Amino acid sequence: MIAALLFAAFAALMVIGVPVCVALGVAGTLAIVLSNQDVAWFGLLAVPQNFYAGLAKYPLLAIPMFVLVGSIFDRSGVARRLVDLAISIVGRGPGMLPLVAIAVAMFLGGISGSGPACAAAVGAVMIAAMSRAGYPGSFSASVVAAGAATDILIPPSIAFIIYSVLVPGASVPALFAAGMVPGLLAGFALIVPTVWLARKHKMGTLEAHLPRPPFWASLRQASWGLAAPVLILGGMRLGWFTPTEAAVVAVFYGLFVGMCIHRTIKLRDLYVILREAAELSAVIMMVVALAGIFAWALSTLSIIDPITHAIVNSGLGEWGVLALLIVLLMTMGMFLDGISIFLIFVPLLMPIANAYGWDPVWFGVILTLKVALGQFTPPLAVNLMVSCRIARVPMESTVPWVVWLLGAMFLVLVAVLVFPQLALWLPHHLGY
Amino acid sequence: MSRPDVPVEPAEPVEPIIPVEQDPAVKVPLALEDWLAVGVLAILALITFVNVLVRYFTDQSFAWTEEISVFLLIVLTMAGGSTAFVRNHHIRIEAVADTGSPARQRRLALASNTVVLLFFILLTVLSVRLVIDEYVYEETSPAIGVPTWWYSIWLPVMAAAIALRTLGTLRRLLRTGAR
Repeated sequence: MIAALLFAAFAALMVIGVPVCVALGVAGTLAIVLSNQDVAWFGLLAVPQNFYAGLAKYPLLAIPMFVLVGSIFDRSGVARRLVDLAISIVGRGPGMLPLVAIAVAMFLGGISGSGPACAAAVGAVMIAAMSRAGYPGSFSASVVAAGAATDILIPPSIAFIIYSVLVPGASVPALFAAGMVPGLLAGFALIVPTVWLARKHKMGTLEAHLPRPPFWASLRQASWGLAAPVLILGGMRLGWFTPTEAAVVAVFYGLFVGMCIHRTIKLRDLYVILREAAELSAVIMMVVALAGIFAWALSTLSIIDPITHAIVNSGLGEWGVLALLIVLLMTMGMFLDGISIFLIFVPLLMPIANAYGWDPVWFGVILTLKVALGQFTPPLAVNLMVSCRIARVPMESTVPWVVWLLGAMFLVLVAVLVFPQLALWLPHHLGY
Repeated sequence: MSRPDVPVEPAEPVEPIIPVEQDPAVKVPLALEDWLAVGVLAILALITFVNVLVRYFTDQSFAWTEEISVFLLIVLTMAGGSTAFVRNHHIRIEAVADTGSPARQRRLALASNTVVLLFFILLTVLSVRLVIDEYVYEETSPAIGVPTWWYSIWLPVMAAAIALRTLGTLRRLLRTGAR
């Protein structure tokens, strides 16, 4: 009864436009009051305690740091130089510019950890270039949004950091390693329909005759950007730094490249970069903190066990339950962003995963792949929102293109479901 | 995001070309929380970076800085969260609230901001209780040994700031309706 009320209150608040974080906090608070009616202060002191405890976790420091990395590399001029290098390799033939957009988005995925930041960086360079070459804005926006969605799978990734805070059994390095192969596969899977669509509709023929940029000069220009993922991922792999430290090293490396090498970041831009990153990380962490209250209310109401029990004994079988979970998460993903989905559903889903003996790392990759799909599934698609704003096209116009890309990435999700080794081989091989 | 500080002619196009967004007409400048959040984020990055350097060159670790970092993380969340409430940047479902007639949008905005206001008033009151408990029982922090209320006092202060900001948002909403 109280549990039903918890979810009903949450859903109602969300629909009228209350921010997710406050809706979680209010629903959690209501549940605490209702289940503690005979206790002094209705047990409400748990509210600030859980708020504080939800935030006071050192691993969460990685979130503002990786958000900051994203804001810095957005402006560091790295994306433009990577695009030049990629064009010098593949040229401007039919379907090649969108391929470049996806490849550069995947590469930036190895530096920054959030999809929208990557969509902004790649979109700012590629969407204008693609429209000059004759690709429609809605197509470019779809390609950039989908390519940037691989960002949360390819390490480093903010989504994995949050999952790891919620699930003690899954370490950040193991998750990062596990996301690598599915992330690359997702990127390659996106390239196929993109190139096919571009050729089928004869897009992008306007600038095909332009000369390619010189390869060696482009390589030299792009080298600072090319070294960044080596530094971040290699440094973590070699045990030089923890994920948080890797992020902070990337922050100073990005600032050095942006301010001293490419000269795209001026001193006064620092304030804007920091403010943007501070606000974005606060938005994420506010959800983390208030979801702590919600999760605590859920756990004290002891409703998770009966639900888990009912689901496991429902006769659907392991695959049936998995299919059901995917459908549920896909539906939620149309209205909620990935981080909120993690914070609301992971505490509910982990007992089910444990009941079936699913590997927590594999399950994390599956959930993240799902969230990546959600990042470019209209109507609520954070990446598409960014790329459509840059391309100045309405989101509805992207639907005919985006469905193909969604289909391609969905096949990768199915592949990782059927062959868990796609995710688990690399972390096992590296010994995490 | 409003970006008034961007130079008029950057060396190359500033990469994220997102249209400039005006801040709402607030009485108390948002720069207050902005500067707090910016400062805290910069200090967090510096502390963590110095930690890496110190560990490399001296084999010592600054474990006690973790406590300060965690505390700064909370200040960052509250300060950045406060401006995000004013600028309406928090994650929310816009499909229902931001469509339909202006009158309906205004009603829903009033309702949702009232919920936010009440929640943060409650959080302020409850966290004052928490701070008083910590003060009375003289709890000290595990790593540095300072009284924990030095840290937790920021929770009610910032929660009250968010409540006041939301009150301001409500006042602006009511005014636009009166006209």
